[in-house]
Amino acid sequence: MFKNHFKTAWRNLLNSKFYSSINIIGLTIGLAVGILILLWVQDELNYDRFNKNTAQLYKVNSSIGSGISKQVWGGAPAPVATYAIKEVPGIINATRIVTAYDYSVFKYQDKLLKEDYGKLSYIDDSFFKMFSYKLLKGNVNNPFPNDQSVIITESTAKRFFGNADPIGKILLGDSKNPVVVSGLLEDFPANSSINADMLFSMNVKKKQYDGKGYWKAMDEAWGNYYAQTFLQVKTGVSAKSIGEKLTQIHFKHQAGIKPTDGVFQLQPLADIHLYNPDGSSAGIQTVKIFSIVAILILLIACINYINLSTARAMMRSKEVSIRKIIGAGRKQLFMQFIIETIFCFVLALLLAFGIIKLLMPVYNILAGKQMYFDLLNINVWQVIGLTVLATLIASSIYPALLLSSFKPINALKGKLSMGAGNTTFRKVLVVCQFAFSIGLIISTLIINKQLNYIQQIKLGYDKSYVFSLQMHKMQDHYESIKAELLNQPEITGVTSGDESIVSSGSTTSDTDWDGKDPQMSFLIHPYGVDKDFLTMFKIKLVDGVNFSGEKSDSTHWILNETAVRLAGIKNPVGKRFKFHGSYGRIIGVVKDFHLASLKQAIEPAIFTYSSNSWQIFVKTNGKTATAAIGAVQKQWKQYNADFPFEYKFLDESYNELYKSEQNTATLFNVFACIAVFISCLGLFGLATYTAQIRFKEIGIRKVLGASVINITAMLSKDFLTLVLISIVIASPIAWFAMHKWLMDYVYRIEINWWVLAVAGFGAVLIAFLTISFQAIKAALSNPVKSLRSE
Amino acid sequence: MIKITNLEKFYRTEEVETIALNKLSMHVNTGEFVAIMGPSGCGKSTLLNILGMLDDPDEGSYVFNEIEVAHFNERKRADLRKHNIGFVFQSFNLIDELTVFENVELPLIYTGVPTAERVKRVEEVLDKMQIMHRRNHYPQQLSGGQQQRVAIARAVVNKPKLILADEPTGNLDSSNGNDVMELLTDLNEQGTTIIMVTHSEHDARYSHRIIRLLDGQTVMENIMV
Repeated sequence: MFKNHFKTAWRNLLNSKFYSSINIIGLTIGLAVGILILLWVQDELNYDRFNKNTAQLYKVNSSIGSGISKQVWGGAPAPVATYAIKEVPGIINATRIVTAYDYSVFKYQDKLLKEDYGKLSYIDDSFFKMFSYKLLKGNVNNPFPNDQSVIITESTAKRFFGNADPIGKILLGDSKNPVVVSGLLEDFPANSSINADMLFSMNVKKKQYDGKGYWKAMDEAWGNYYAQTFLQVKTGVSAKSIGEKLTQIHFKHQAGIKPTDGVFQLQPLADIHLYNPDGSSAGIQTVKIFSIVAILILLIACINYINLSTARAMMRSKEVSIRKIIGAGRKQLFMQFIIETIFCFVLALLLAFGIIKLLMPVYNILAGKQMYFDLLNINVWQVIGLTVLATLIASSIYPALLLSSFKPINALKGKLSMGAGNTTFRKVLVVCQFAFSIGLIISTLIINKQLNYIQQIKLGYDKSYVFSLQMHKMQDHYESIKAELLNQPEITGVTSGDESIVSSGSTTSDTDWDGKDPQMSFLIHPYGVDKDFLTMFKIKLVDGVNFSGEKSDSTHWILNETAVRLAGIKNPVGKRFKFHGSYGRIIGVVKDFHLASLKQAIEPAIFTYSSNSWQIFVKTNGKTATAAIGAVQKQWKQYNADFPFEYKFLDESYNELYKSEQNTATLFNVFACIAVFISCLGLFGLATYTAQIRFKEIGIRKVLGASVINITAMLSKDFLTLVLISIVIASPIAWFAMHKWLMDYVYRIEINWWVLAVAGFGAVLIAFLTISFQAIKAALSNPVKSLRSE
Repeated sequence: MIKITNLEKFYRTEEVETIALNKLSMHVNTGEFVAIMGPSGCGKSTLLNILGMLDDPDEGSYVFNEIEVAHFNERKRADLRKHNIGFVFQSFNLIDELTVFENVELPLIYTGVPTAERVKRVEEVLDKMQIMHRRNHYPQQLSGGQQQRVAIARAVVNKPKLILADEPTGNLDSSNGNDVMELLTDLNEQGTTIIMVTHSEHDARYSHRIIRLLDGQTVMENIMV
């Protein structure tokens, strides 16, 4: 029986090459793209889940302030971990990760290698017991035998030592401080939220508290929220209650803390990749959007299959009838058609595997990921299994039911009971398909428009042709270097500041002013800048004056408009303002500028004078950038020969803020095009089919005097009506969905009606081009032929 | 074998009701060869479809092998059909995607005959119909006469008690037509009951009895000697 089914399926495939190829191409593309997207989704959802203890692991977040200045940080004060183990029941273990800024380059023999910021961390010894990161060499129970110990990842080891055994090798941090490799760590998996190249003992950090600073010891520094703190909690213990207990402990140990100052909250490790500490989307939104897109694309492919096979059912009615007459039961015919669908799917799937294999490298670049399409991997099969099974069920059952339900005698006579019901159903499917595609087109247009808007929005400062670099030893000679650089014709400005203007990374609540509400918590972004900073970045002063570079500037502050507004200071220039413990005067107010991603509203900012800081900004212009970089490099060689020369244009840093959005947008563009393509493929097939079954009618009409245009219009009209209905359905839904997406951005575009119109017009045009080819072909055919064929 | 009484069948469209069979009664005995004749639209094909359980009557009784089947549902009818009735059509109705062998094999597949037995029976019947040499050809590669032989082979391979033939020679030249009629006569002589609809007086002469229909009613019966 099955052999017969397969034989028929195969011969049917070969006999109707046109429909078979449309069906299989549509399915192949749909399956390939669907699987690719779902692999991405799976990768996102599986972040950090490789840890054996994932279910028990939490990160401590700190919710600071209240009302409009409430912020939730991913860090916690260092003592939290210490007290959690000591005083909170239900905690199995705790570890902290603190970024180490001590070194930026390491020397081994003649090799000088730079380590990026954020790639060096201090960790507690318990790190390897809580997480599943594999220590290939070294001792889990005593990972850092002394304070000079360092654990490095395999790829870091490879960079420094090639294939030699790294254990015991000595590196010179910043070319002077020796550290000894005591452990070799398997590279952090690509889907790990925790990542580093080199790990140092937390003891080193502890010893940096020498008892002379504001905070006497690391475990007393309750006001510094810098330690990423992870807790392993016994199964069944409530994370909320642990957060509350930690908050209580904080109140007990730090004097002067009130409930509005903040609380600790535990976030499951498995959530930290997709959710921000405050619970907002850090990617889960995109995961949801992409899941929907994958489902839509698969549905579109299914609909193609259903439509073409039910349309073609007419042509197979004779075969079905004969089979029924000579004894086929409905069940047997149903199975036959299911097997035919499976057959198509297997072919499509094999082709899809090939496409996926080919596209994976490009896809990884587009998605910014390292995914592997490995057919031996059970995870990959989860995705494939789910995708294929769902699409197979969706596309096989209806056609099989329909085909097996023919009344043999009617079908044989060509009087098929494929009346209104079936055509209506097919029309509904076409409408759905086009509604999906139009929805995707609208979304794509809006996403692109929003991202363009972000690129072109007036930021309130001028970052063009400015590059920044770390000064290292140049800082001590800043003034003379600046004078020297400004002498170069290709350099139009030089300034120094301690923050990235593109994205401010720090805030402080350490401020006071006359008339401040004692309950108010006010967070402000501090910028330590030299006197040329505001001028070079063209940040506008709306009141008062700029820094003059005089000594008195050390007690002069310049605020932004938002700071003045939120603080509620009237006539701010000349008023007293306390910052970081010392009183000064406000000498100026600058117009608001975007100091972080446009997803955030502008927050308060304060400029303080600092004649030089760790970072230098150099402005040049488009034509002479290379010469300007050369000039800076010359200075660099003179002072920083021990460090590799590295610089970065602010435009690049700015684009990095939106990198994930750009990736998403690119993928979305591609997916929308594919959706439209598959839909058109189906439409093309249906149009061909319609032209075929109306062949005789077209002949009669032509004999009676219909023109080519009449006939093209007649054939196109039905389909275009369906597309128009799709537009009406898709527009409001897409509008609503995109409106929700835009809500993520504080600065966003309005959705204009013309976006919907453009999408609709585009869809109609594409549909028309698809149909008209067949329609015109049918209209041009010789009527005698069609009448003779009876 | 077959006894129908007061059989009625109507075709309705929105405005017109056409009576295809009007209180028709007849019987066919086991082993008989009956020809049904009459002008176009007299109800021949409708009758044949009902006899073949491809269609159900609106009124009246149809007893097949002493079982009342007039109100059987489709599944039951299909079951009875596949074990008892073979069909031969004017337009052969072979499946284009299947070879001669596969076409003939199909009824055996649907009745669940094991593979080895199937091959044996198909080969037997192809041999008997003298088309063994064409077993791997597709229908469109055969002449009309050959196609009808295959169709008859397919109709008899399951050893049905009854063969219903709807103008079996209608698409054939006279020489091929005679061959087909000889084949049917042979089958009848071996015990198969045959009911054949035909326009051809010549073909009808092969039968034992001719039933003439007009407007859905029997108007005359000729017994052939």
